[in-house]
Amino acid sequence: MRLLSLLTTALLVGLSAATSSAGNSVLVVLEPKLSREQFSIFFDGLESKGYDLTFRAPKDEKPVILEDDIPAFSHVIFFAPTTKNFASDITPQSIITLLENRVNVLIALSPSTTPLTSLAAEFSLILPPPNTPLISHFPSRPHPPTTLAITPHNGPNAPILSKNLGPVLFKGISHAYGENPRLVSILKAPKESFASDTESDRGSESIADAVEKGGEGLWAGGSMGVVSGFQTVSGARVTWVGGVDVFGDEFANAEALEGVKSGNEQFSKDVAAWTFQESLVLRIANTSHHLLGENYPRDHYTTKDEIVYSIDIERFDAKTSTWKPYSGITDLQLEYTMLDPHIRTALPPIKGAPGHYSVTFRAPDRHGVFKFVVDYKRKGWTHLHSAIVVPLVPPRHDGYPRFLSSAWPYYAGAISTSIGFVIFSALWLGGDVREKGKGKGKKAE
Amino acid sequence: MNLFGLIPSFLFVLLASSVGAADKASLTIQGAKLSVSSADGSLLNSQTLSPPETASPVTLGPTDVFKLAFTVVTSDSKTPVQPHQVFLRFYDPKTDEEGIHPIRVTSAGKAKLELNMAKPPLTLPPTTESPLEVTLLLGSYNYEPASFPLFSLTLPVSQPPPVHPDEASYHPLPSIFHTFRAEEKQPPQVISAVFTLLVLSPWFVLLVLWTQLPLSVPHLFSSEVLPFVVLLGAFEYLLVQYWVSLKLPQVLSYGAILGFLTAATGKRALSSLSKWRLGEKQ
Repeated sequence: MRLLSLLTTALLVGLSAATSSAGNSVLVVLEPKLSREQFSIFFDGLESKGYDLTFRAPKDEKPVILEDDIPAFSHVIFFAPTTKNFASDITPQSIITLLENRVNVLIALSPSTTPLTSLAAEFSLILPPPNTPLISHFPSRPHPPTTLAITPHNGPNAPILSKNLGPVLFKGISHAYGENPRLVSILKAPKESFASDTESDRGSESIADAVEKGGEGLWAGGSMGVVSGFQTVSGARVTWVGGVDVFGDEFANAEALEGVKSGNEQFSKDVAAWTFQESLVLRIANTSHHLLGENYPRDHYTTKDEIVYSIDIERFDAKTSTWKPYSGITDLQLEYTMLDPHIRTALPPIKGAPGHYSVTFRAPDRHGVFKFVVDYKRKGWTHLHSAIVVPLVPPRHDGYPRFLSSAWPYYAGAISTSIGFVIFSALWLGGDVREKGKGKGKKAE
Repeated sequence: MNLFGLIPSFLFVLLASSVGAADKASLTIQGAKLSVSSADGSLLNSQTLSPPETASPVTLGPTDVFKLAFTVVTSDSKTPVQPHQVFLRFYDPKTDEEGIHPIRVTSAGKAKLELNMAKPPLTLPPTTESPLEVTLLLGSYNYEPASFPLFSLTLPVSQPPPVHPDEASYHPLPSIFHTFRAEEKQPPQVISAVFTLLVLSPWFVLLVLWTQLPLSVPHLFSSEVLPFVVLLGAFEYLLVQYWVSLKLPQVLSYGAILGFLTAATGKRALSSLSKWRLGEKQ
């Protein structure tokens, strides 16, 4: 009974999920210093898309983010960049549990140290020392040096951000990147920017000190990030934003440079759309394999067989909230693996069949338990993984060619013996000894 | 009247805006000199820099010492200042690697940089054979910022940046092709044919000799013998079929039926044969 009600609620949630492929309930942990009105454009935009926002202060006991280790929301926004003490249910460990359960998390940071800044290191983000906001003196603009206007450079393969986005106003901290390939940079720091706690030109000495021996290093240049995403093994997405003001109404309505409107409104929408599994979401609809010339899968294949493998891939379309066949992947690869891949080949999209990718290959002449593996990981996109185990066997005793030219003498010998035996039997049984002279009769006896 | 009133106000706006822009003087450098000397102190390269013109490319060997000195001044009054940010940016456009090196500036605006390539600072990016673009960044709370491309710099090749072991799986991986074992070699069919004829040659001998033998098979088509001989032939045909297509259980079941029939007809054939022979002897 309880299972049934759970199923129906799951179904209802699934039906009413208007935009995200991962559900529409959002918990916003908003610290008391910030008010909902400061972010009205961002929050109203989410609500108009169909998200169901629930607000809570960091120290409130309810609603809890995890109930008996089951997440209560599909997405969680942490707009508590200066909160040092959270209620007992919000700990770095509980956020990890959320991510393990495919809950998407958006986290805003600030120059001050909080429990969440210590969590950033787990995601290969290297934060600057406390209280060192990002500063840029370039270009001259109607904002203080700590408010930066950053022109987004979109990655060619993972279009998380919209095209032709205006400069994004940013105030907060930068972070250096570790080597983790699960990180995807959404917005990088300008090349002239650097992190510093000094507030006048006299601070130049301490900046030079930072790179000397024993210094804490300098967070400077265009290889730093300010907004970065991370895709976990479970498929959840977590986005780290160096400052909460990016999402604020003030920056959304301001001019980034003189006469140029800021792109913050669209930028925050794009960041939320990626974090909440609206954009760049793929899934595998179907996989199949069969012998060339057949159309049903075998439970095993023979070495040197011609095997056809095909996969159907769908992409989530947030506008209609449906999954649509997607043929846009050009670098999909299939691996035929026993311990190590024996064959790795391109899996190209088939023209005229949307979302269908197929390849024909010849099975190797080594038998064993092989797997068809598709493991598609690209930065920003959902990771796709599929593995089908199908044994590859050597030919059966009757699976070899029957007539080899090198064996003709043996065939001739065997057939001769058979025919000779039948002729001999016929002669011995049907011949008459007495009628035909004594010599032959003696022979037969 | 209106028109005359407008022009002065327009001029005033222009003036005000230009004053607004000139509110902050911009920064520049003067007296910039760079030199490259080898480990034993001999001078390899010496140039004076006059931004925004770029100097000729600079190459550093693994033990060379690079020196750069300049004074930061305001562009209008040429008074020396100590700005907040005096950075050298080393950038490799091919690998997108970047290094930022802050330069210490005295309060009199004097800046000095010494890079000893025997002990390269950590701020240099990982380098390849391609040259780095070196840019000077000047930023200040009180003055307009400025950036000058200085020169292109070729450094000794460094260790490549560390790469995560999983990084490769985020890009298309190299294709792998299976190398099949070579097909088994077959001798030429002519040789096989010759040996087949050799195997079959006794038949020719037999056929030739047969013509010399008086043969008659009066009992072969009798109802006792013929079924047995036909069933013997059928047995051979079954074995040929086993070789070509049939499976063992099918062969065994057909063989059981055939065997039963063959045994029965064989008994009949042999008993009638013995009857004939005994009858003939009597």
